[in-house]
Amino acid sequence: MARSVKHSVNRPPTPDEDVRDSPERDELTLGEIINIKLVESGEKENLMELVRDRLVESGWKDEMRIACREHVKKKGRKDVTVDELIRVITPKGRASVPDAVKEELLDRIHNFIRSAAL
Amino acid sequence: MSNAEDNKPSHDQLSSQVFLDLVDSVIADVASECHRVARLGLDRDLEVVEEELRLSVEARAKVADPSNNLETNTKYVVDIFGQSHPPVATEVFNCMNCGRQIVAGRFAPHLERCMGKGRKARAKATRSTTASQNRNSRRNTSDNNQLASGPPGFEENVRRT
Repeated sequence: MARSVKHSVNRPPTPDEDVRDSPERDELTLGEIINIKLVESGEKENLMELVRDRLVESGWKDEMRIACREHVKKKGRKDVTVDELIRVITPKGRASVPDAVKEELLDRIHNFIRSAAL
Repeated sequence: MSNAEDNKPSHDQLSSQVFLDLVDSVIADVASECHRVARLGLDRDLEVVEEELRLSVEARAKVADPSNNLETNTKYVVDIFGQSHPPVATEVFNCMNCGRQIVAGRFAPHLERCMGKGRKARAKATRSTTASQNRNSRRNTSDNNQLASGPPGFEENVRRT
């Protein structure tokens, strides 16, 4: 006995829910996957807030702003662009993050990755 | 997990990457903020420095170009003490010859007339000056024309003799 379901409307079957809008899972790098998980869980935002707070407390932000002002003084304030400023302060910025702050952040990220079971 | 990549990134590498990503975001924020302050001229200290620079350049240009001063400041030249001097001296004092109150800037022309130097300038005569000159000329020359000729021609008479 064949079960025939009478459809009131003829329409193609609903696509599978497994297929998402994003590209195939296999093509995403591990880093990207982690990033997505960080964002989705809200941990990325927590980390951002933590980083900002720590860098402000330690005076790192002030040092960066001084470096920016120096550059602006040299170039003249009308000519300067955001990209230029980023380019100028990034090497110094990355290098001058206090070790304690770096450790704290890396720790938390590590824990997250481990708990994400990847 | 089957990965096509040969070297699976370690947890450390992944963590580092995430960390750098976060730091780069904060750096971008700082740069954006400073850029905004710079472009809007909100940094007063920067403005002061710029203003001083501009003024000193202007001042240097003015000093190098003396003709500038003559054209713009003919009436009220300001000296290094900040005092301005009007072109005509305005102080008033008493003439030592006739005793009148004279404006310093007009003293020389007054003196010309007062002491009887100029020819035509002797239109107005005071009794004291004519009286003293009368006395002088009376002693020098014979008293032919002096009493008869009035003040207008008087000087010429004196000169001629």
